[in-house]
Amino acid sequence: MAKVAREMVEKAGVNVDQLVELLVKNAAAELTTYYYYTILRVNLIGLEGEGIKEIAETARIEDRNHFEALVPRIYELGGKLPEDMKAFHDISACPPANLPKDPTDIKAMLTVLVGAERCAVRGYTHICNLTAGKDHRTYDLSLAILNEEVEHESWFSEFLGEGPSGHFLRRGETSPFVSKFLK
Amino acid sequence: MEMRVFTKEELRQYNGRNGAPAFIACRGRVYDVSDSFLWQNGRHQVIHAAGADLTSSLDQAPHGEDLLERFPIIGVLKEE
Repeated sequence: MAKVAREMVEKAGVNVDQLVELLVKNAAAELTTYYYYTILRVNLIGLEGEGIKEIAETARIEDRNHFEALVPRIYELGGKLPEDMKAFHDISACPPANLPKDPTDIKAMLTVLVGAERCAVRGYTHICNLTAGKDHRTYDLSLAILNEEVEHESWFSEFLGEGPSGHFLRRGETSPFVSKFLK
Repeated sequence: MEMRVFTKEELRQYNGRNGAPAFIACRGRVYDVSDSFLWQNGRHQVIHAAGADLTSSLDQAPHGEDLLERFPIIGVLKEE
């Protein structure tokens, strides 16, 4: 635990126990989404499915990166991950991104994907709002993750035909915003 | 169908804990959020609790009132 770092956050008026709980729940959402996206990805086949497989894979890898980036901050603030993996799954900040009943229904697949990303966008906006100007390190991390989640949402929503596209596939390495927390 | 009228005191009992249903109020309407994954055990995003009028919290939330349309309206909150 980073004792002084935690004290500074408390002194700034943040309820650190609540913040840690939020970080743990979002870490659970990232890891479980990584798992569920693995199942979605392997089912993205055929002419339509193959078309979105690459962005689904990028989102999957970046969600795992988000989990990796969140964990050190949880421990710095005096928190910890649950020892029971099932308990960890069940406290996720977002619902499971389950495979649709008909995996060949690409619109249903995209609806699951965009729903998961929208939950994440709301979650990190919430953490940014709680920490802005108070807990600079958690804010910086949450903002970096938020930047990537917003892009994920855009990719999937544009495949659903929601507005003109302002984005294209990730160029270069994954996690352009979060990578600084992974070094 | 006539809506059930809740006082704030009555609403407090539906806090989602110990098997109780989870009801929340917003702008005078009472919603049943018991089946929502995001309201497990009557808590939402760690800082919000069921059994209360969350109108002012919604103004600060990273989502609009439209998300509440997913939940059944089961009553109205009595003005006090």
